Amino acid sequence: MIVEIDSPEYPELLKKIEHPPQRLYYKGSWDNAIFEKCLAVVGSRKMSNYGKQITNKLVSEIAQAGITIVSGFMYGVDATAHKAALEAGGKTIAVMPCGIEMIHPERQENLYKEILENKGLIISELEGAHPPALWTYPRRNRIMAGLSIATLVIEAGLKSGSLITAALARKYKRRLFAVPGPLTSSLSQGTLELIKEGADVVISAQDVLQCYGLKAPEELSGAAASSSAPFSILSKLEQNILEKLRQEPLEIDALSRMAKVSASEMGTTLSLMELKGLLTKEEGRYYVK
Amino acid sequence: MLSRVSSASNLGLETIPVEVEVNLAERGLPAFEIVGLPSKAVDESKERVKTAIVNSGIEFPTRRITVNLAPADVPKEGSFYDLPIAVGILSLTRQCRLPKSSLFFGELSLEGTVRHTKGALLLALCAKERGIKNIFVPEPSANEAAIIEGVNVYPVESLNQLLAYLSGEIELLPAEYREANQAQAPVEAEFDIAEILGQEQAKRAMEISAGGGHNLFMIGSPGAGKTMLARALPGILPLLAERESLEVTKVYSASGRIPPQGSMIKIRPFRAPHHTISPVGLIGGGTNPQPGEVSLAHRGVLFLDEFNEFPRSVLEALRQPMEDGHLTISRSRKRASFPSRFMLIASANPCPCGYLYHPGKPCLCSQREIEKYRKRVSGPILDRIDLHVEVPVVDVKEFSHEQEVKKSAELSSQIRMRVVKAREMQRERFIKEGIHTNAEMKNKQIKKYCSLSKEVRQVLLQAMRTFKLSARSYFKMIKVTRTIADLEGSQGITVAHMAEALQYRPKTQNEG
Repeated sequence: MIVEIDSPEYPELLKKIEHPPQRLYYKGSWDNAIFEKCLAVVGSRKMSNYGKQITNKLVSEIAQAGITIVSGFMYGVDATAHKAALEAGGKTIAVMPCGIEMIHPERQENLYKEILENKGLIISELEGAHPPALWTYPRRNRIMAGLSIATLVIEAGLKSGSLITAALARKYKRRLFAVPGPLTSSLSQGTLELIKEGADVVISAQDVLQCYGLKAPEELSGAAASSSAPFSILSKLEQNILEKLRQEPLEIDALSRMAKVSASEMGTTLSLMELKGLLTKEEGRYYVK
Repeated sequence: MLSRVSSASNLGLETIPVEVEVNLAERGLPAFEIVGLPSKAVDESKERVKTAIVNSGIEFPTRRITVNLAPADVPKEGSFYDLPIAVGILSLTRQCRLPKSSLFFGELSLEGTVRHTKGALLLALCAKERGIKNIFVPEPSANEAAIIEGVNVYPVESLNQLLAYLSGEIELLPAEYREANQAQAPVEAEFDIAEILGQEQAKRAMEISAGGGHNLFMIGSPGAGKTMLARALPGILPLLAERESLEVTKVYSASGRIPPQGSMIKIRPFRAPHHTISPVGLIGGGTNPQPGEVSLAHRGVLFLDEFNEFPRSVLEALRQPMEDGHLTISRSRKRASFPSRFMLIASANPCPCGYLYHPGKPCLCSQREIEKYRKRVSGPILDRIDLHVEVPVVDVKEFSHEQEVKKSAELSSQIRMRVVKAREMQRERFIKEGIHTNAEMKNKQIKKYCSLSKEVRQVLLQAMRTFKLSARSYFKMIKVTRTIADLEGSQGITVAHMAEALQYRPKTQNEG
């Protein structure tokens, strides 16, 4: 399906940018409400665990508040943002670097279907099964920035595509948010640079929602209290583990050395904690859920 | 004039009797011919026999000599027909009588002495099976042959010595089997597992792997210590049991890997072929089928470092021997069966550059490259590996108080004690099943020997959902749990055992 630039359906905000796309191809059910409050969420394809955690947390809270999450359907931060939005029951728009008939990257077919099944939109200015190319990515980025009131950069290296989107957002005079990360991580260099240049620092979802005149959903602010509730029935070792992991994610070997128990006993405890839903394990390290 | 000497032919691990017929013709020009499908090595025997006889100070008959190796339609391989041919010729020229019910076997040197020859053990086995009383083998190989009881193994040093015995001039006593001393146990000394810093979980995985004969897959960045861990494994493995030992020694005898004066192999083999190995090198083969690495690792460890770098064809060829514990190599003219019940220890980097998840170095690979790299190992192979463990990079600074850590780390010998006990429990358990270890259990046996209480089953089912485990993983987890319980000496399986086993579940390859 196509929406032309002179159609009343065409998103107002997008018209205001330099060289807006003449027509938008789309899949899904077009509803102008979806364009009302958009936030572009961008970041590295090579996302760190930290990036993943933050994307999940921020996006699910922001999407729950009714903001549409716009992203680029790439793996890494993009895909995580789409997924988090869908899981939170929110709206999401995927702006493709290729024609809408093509699923790129291919293995995200399930995500593509999920977006369409959950009243999301797949859009592109490219026709049919136009393949992605080097030049289509920055052009896709201008649509993302153009659709959105604000852009949120989760993780970005220096010289990354996310910084192009950030620069475009600035050019269109939209708000720019960046998530601070560790100084040591190469995936934080881009975001830190943005902050240095004056992008707004994001510490919680509230920082972004304020810009839309919204507040974070109530029940989430109470989450911290509820998670500490079953604390009392945990064993001493389990409490000890949680305390350590709140400071930083650790490997099982480090944990067993700290707690001075065998790898066997630590393994048993960690498996059971995982099953209780207290921890998750990613790339060999344990995280508090 | 015709004489008949008995010998044998090795085909893989099987041995068939061969009769060596030697004829000195009354007429005709002097010549020396061998018939009966001799290979190049057998044909060259003519020169060795002739020179050895002459150098022993014996006259070589200038007559037409015809040697027939019967049955004539089976191809003959190897150099060990030298001795029977020489004995056949000399028995005719010197008129000495050959002892009854005897096999002759051995390669001659040009000076007339007899050399160490591969396959002596198999010859002795063949003699025993067929009720042959005496075998004459090279002196260096006599100990290997003497492993088999009930056969008189006569150690032959040279042609002259043998002739003297045959003509009754000297006495020759059958060799008695001598167990080799401890100097033949070099693997144990390589290093102790306690010397590896940190890696508590990986060490525990090694212990479980050794305890139940489970295959193990290690993932970790370069320098994390994967190879070191694998090399420490022989130190925590129990020695081979009597029957296993004979199985292993047979394979090594067939491929000529038993040193002169060698005895039974007691230590579990550890094989670590490089990833440039060919399928035939790994599985075995050749026109005269030879055992490959999988058979040389029988009852021991096959360590494949850089697992993802092995060509796919090589890895896929592993499937059948892993599943069946033996394999048959069929060639147009010959086929041979070899055992191949080994523990597979595989190790791989997490990505092509190796530094994914590394705390200090950035990974330079794209998502696509990583996926492609991981897909090189097929699902069916990973499915056959019970234990999966991550080996993180150890920060050496953390271990500046090295002495203290070393004291607290368990020694190989301590771990081995638990492993030996666990294996003992398994031996008793499977005494009627014809298997040795938990890893070999089939689903039916798992149901019979690993009854799970309601609680334990619930934990496993919950884990299946939470961790999205496959149905095959379900059974793998139970097998591993059984081994963990065995290591503790426990007959029953508890929730704690199951929870620990879940640590070693297969890692989902593409999350996200």
